Amino acid sequence: MTELRTSEVDKDGFPVQEATAPAPAASPAPPQSSPSASNHWLRWAWRQLTSMRIALILLFLLALGAIPGSMLPQEGSDPGGVRQYFRAHPSVAPLLNHLGLFNVFAAPWFAAIYLLLFTSLVGCVVPRTFRLAGSARTLPPRAPRQLSKLPHSAEYPVSLSTEQALEVSSRVLSGHGFRLRRPGDLNAMTRQPSPGERDWVSAEKGYLREAGNLLFHLSLLGVLVSIAMGGLLGYKADRLLIAGQTFANTTTDLDEFYPGRLVSGSDLPPFSITLDKFNASYITSGPQLGQPAAFDAYVTYHAHPGDTVRKFDIQVNHPLNVDGAKVYLIGHGYAPVFKVTDASGHVEYDEATPFISGTAANFLSQGVVKVADAQPEGLGFTGVFVPTAAVDASGNLASVFPAPDRPVVSLIAYGGNLGMNTGASQSVYALDTTGMTQLTPKPVVLAQGQTLKLPGGKGSITFAGYQLWGSFTITHDPGQLPALACGIGALAGLLLSFLVRRRRVFVRVRPADSGSVVSLGGLARTDASGGFEAEFAALAAELRAAHESTESQQESGD
Amino acid sequence: MPVNLALGHVSNDFLLAALALYSLAVLAFAGDFAFGRPLRAVAAAASKPARTLATVGAGSVPADAGDSKTSLVSMPELRVPALRALFQATAWVRGAMALSMAGVTAHAVAVITRGFATHRAPWGDMYEFVTALTCFAAIFFLGVMIRYRAWALGVFVMGAVVLTLGLTETLIYTPAGDLVPALQSYWLSIHVTAMTVATGVFFVSAVLGIVYLAVDWYTRRVAAGRAKPGNGIVHRLPTLEQLDRLAYRTVVFGFPIWTFGVIAGAIWADQAWGRYWGWDPVETWAFITWVIYAAFLHARATAGWRGRRAHYVQLLGFISLVFNIMVVQIFVTGLHSYAGVS
Amino acid sequence: MPKPKRRVVVLAATVCAGVLAVVLLVTAFGGSGGGNVTYIGGNTNAVLYTAGHQPKAPDFSGTTLTGSRLGLAEYRGDVVVLNFWGSWCPPCRAEATTLAFAAQQYHSAGVRFLGVDVRDNTPGALDFLHSHHITYPSVSDPDDTITLDFSSVVPIADTPSTLVIDKTGHIAGAVFGEVSYQELTTLLGKVTAGKSGSAND
Repeated sequence: MTELRTSEVDKDGFPVQEATAPAPAASPAPPQSSPSASNHWLRWAWRQLTSMRIALILLFLLALGAIPGSMLPQEGSDPGGVRQYFRAHPSVAPLLNHLGLFNVFAAPWFAAIYLLLFTSLVGCVVPRTFRLAGSARTLPPRAPRQLSKLPHSAEYPVSLSTEQALEVSSRVLSGHGFRLRRPGDLNAMTRQPSPGERDWVSAEKGYLREAGNLLFHLSLLGVLVSIAMGGLLGYKADRLLIAGQTFANTTTDLDEFYPGRLVSGSDLPPFSITLDKFNASYITSGPQLGQPAAFDAYVTYHAHPGDTVRKFDIQVNHPLNVDGAKVYLIGHGYAPVFKVTDASGHVEYDEATPFISGTAANFLSQGVVKVADAQPEGLGFTGVFVPTAAVDASGNLASVFPAPDRPVVSLIAYGGNLGMNTGASQSVYALDTTGMTQLTPKPVVLAQGQTLKLPGGKGSITFAGYQLWGSFTITHDPGQLPALACGIGALAGLLLSFLVRRRRVFVRVRPADSGSVVSLGGLARTDASGGFEAEFAALAAELRAAHESTESQQESGD
Repeated sequence: MPVNLALGHVSNDFLLAALALYSLAVLAFAGDFAFGRPLRAVAAAASKPARTLATVGAGSVPADAGDSKTSLVSMPELRVPALRALFQATAWVRGAMALSMAGVTAHAVAVITRGFATHRAPWGDMYEFVTALTCFAAIFFLGVMIRYRAWALGVFVMGAVVLTLGLTETLIYTPAGDLVPALQSYWLSIHVTAMTVATGVFFVSAVLGIVYLAVDWYTRRVAAGRAKPGNGIVHRLPTLEQLDRLAYRTVVFGFPIWTFGVIAGAIWADQAWGRYWGWDPVETWAFITWVIYAAFLHARATAGWRGRRAHYVQLLGFISLVFNIMVVQIFVTGLHSYAGVS
Repeated sequence: MPKPKRRVVVLAATVCAGVLAVVLLVTAFGGSGGGNVTYIGGNTNAVLYTAGHQPKAPDFSGTTLTGSRLGLAEYRGDVVVLNFWGSWCPPCRAEATTLAFAAQQYHSAGVRFLGVDVRDNTPGALDFLHSHHITYPSVSDPDDTITLDFSSVVPIADTPSTLVIDKTGHIAGAVFGEVSYQELTTLLGKVTAGKSGSAND
């Protein structure tokens, strides 16, 4: 980000030393009236947007904006909770809805925050990327005259000539990967340097830090683009499947279908899945009695009609990959089998009916049976399925264990018009009893195999048994892998920018009585967290040692 | 595999032992404040290379935060090897460090045996999570203390560890048990490990931030003439700049780990729930925490936001982290409700 | 790089990003055009496929609700009204009378009606047919294979759906959703007269 420049720091982030860096760019003045005043205002606004301060404020706003998205129920993940909130807080809820607080992460104001943040990011990162590319060719600045004024400096005498001392220094520094600059390296120097101006070496290192910083910020942008891609080209679908049932991946056969904006039903891969068997096991002893132990959905599938048929065991954390889509096991439950006959024994309904447990403990499940074409009049039943039945303290039916050890159902029967002929959609888990009369004054409890005879010759219903069902989510997200790649890129960039320090080391050699005096100076970027001192000390020691060994070589060689 | 309850009890015993040792260590650190020699005993012990170099500028131990030469305040890192500095410290410090190390060992044994008892990584429920993160915090801080000779900070960080562990033992202890199937995945080890380690590191930086703010508050009061200078405790602590740098470095260490933890969590969420990001409340708050710590890192590079304000931001980040663990994970319904706390 | 040039580059980058965003939004909101279909009575779910764009109806065979085998190939040479339904589905119940009536009405013209019963239980389905006086046969599709086959040629999105197949076995028109008597007769009129593809109503 463009840091608000003070007089302390040059354009590369190093503290300003005299005669080292050019004068820092003046901070932008507020716009004055001029022929292109609007241009000035735009430029000023742009500068403000890409400043560190605004980035900071936008980051806070982003965090703040996400808070209601986590505390209030959201449309996307919990629409039932949203309806419940409306019922519980009828006066406040519409206002919150108007502000978009029930769908925060799709709300325009939230989008505005992160779009502004990313604009600020792009506006900062792109120029710096160009600057970094440019700096791959530029050299470190000239060594300042007074190295002792630098934050880290050292000085010692050697018995080598100035050229030799410089030679050794350059060798050591470039051995450490520093980029060097010597007098005469720059073409711009047109005049002959005077003696004394030739005896220095500048070294700089740590350009990867900036590269890491930019990689991190650009990767964040990549993550945003990947998420957008997933939202446009991906889809999510749900399907509940009873053991023994098969379904094909078309929109009519899915319970819910949430396509991305550019996705239609014809984009769905045409696979079929049969749930052969569902296994659910629970902990039968100890402090975690009743907690789930393992769930297995044994399926047979083929990727498209005519393809080889394969088997798979879908578990939680273990989805099925088929033709670009992933099938996840999300939940399971019970589907009691009911047989409804009319008074003469003609079977009108014979099916496993999924019951839903929701948040109820130990899989106490609820559901309905609808027999709209029963004779003489339509029949409807609301029921509760209890896997392991017991009567609690207040006399109510409760489930004490999630496995079907003592399954019973409790039913209330209704007769009349189920309201399905008008064509309006109904939930398959709810019975509309307006227009129906209750046939059983109290709920009737049936064990497996038992039959309830309805009064008035309206027929009977038998609790014939039960099946298990599994609910599956099918997803396709083309932005998934790019998002992961960008996430890893962000992490890599982060580590690079934290571990690599941009620093400069200067060496000046001046002639003295018995050889020369070597002066060293070094400094690091102002926001470096330290540690350069240790590196400088080590470098100084190594230079010293290198000079001494060259001295002794010379002495022995002479 | 059935849970080894006996080993679970052993784990708990070791934790109580660690708690006792830590408490004694805190008392010893406090004793150093009350009865020990003043700090910065390392000034004279310069090593050989340092003597031959006539270093000018920041190279010696900073005496006061007002030294105009030392615009980049340094830490006395490689002047003296770490262990020698430890032996040169007061008896109180040596005792406190010994007790801390013993405590950390017991703490680590407690965490490891819990893992063996449950046949999985020992951070599956809230109790295990807090014991593990304080263990990482303690190990990390021991390293920091030795590297930077920051014994004076021992009483604060280890004191916070004692407080946290004590509350955990009394309020949210859960016996060793199995996990719900949704949690039985190797990604559990990776994601929750990263979050636990990062939380431990941020725990340390939060305590350092509080110490910084306290010292800063005192310094400003002195400057305004409302307090007497020369407070015994403050003088034994590192300078404001050193505290700031230490807290910053700690956050810098923890931030990539937290980032990795969020990414690993997204991978795990995709495996278990079919999508890598769904704005689940715990996910959202992990994101909020990440954004606040990112704001802290930005604040430190923004004029006018360095110092006190930046540390407010850093503490806000830790508060959001704790809020995520304590409130959101337990009370807000979402897919993350596997804390195991009833 | 000198400052003005850099600014131009940044400006260009932002403009490109903005254009890209606009393009994405437009495609997201854009509907599908079509010279391939005309709509009946302004209902975008009731379509007539223009000549040359009529998909071939996939052949299928299965077991009817009464237990006998039946296949689409047996109807080659006749106009077929294929209706996807289920006894659990309220819109299917609402349109059942229309279909029963039309089946009687168009029988002498050689139009055959055939049902595909999806996600249903046989006793309930048989009672549905009985109570709505539907006498034409329905093939049971428990594995959704017939639905899958047809979904690959026409965008069947929901139950009910009604397709009209001409004598050559091509799908001439379709109503996705509950079909009204008006739409059904319009479709049948076009197909039996062989004039599918003329201007819409």
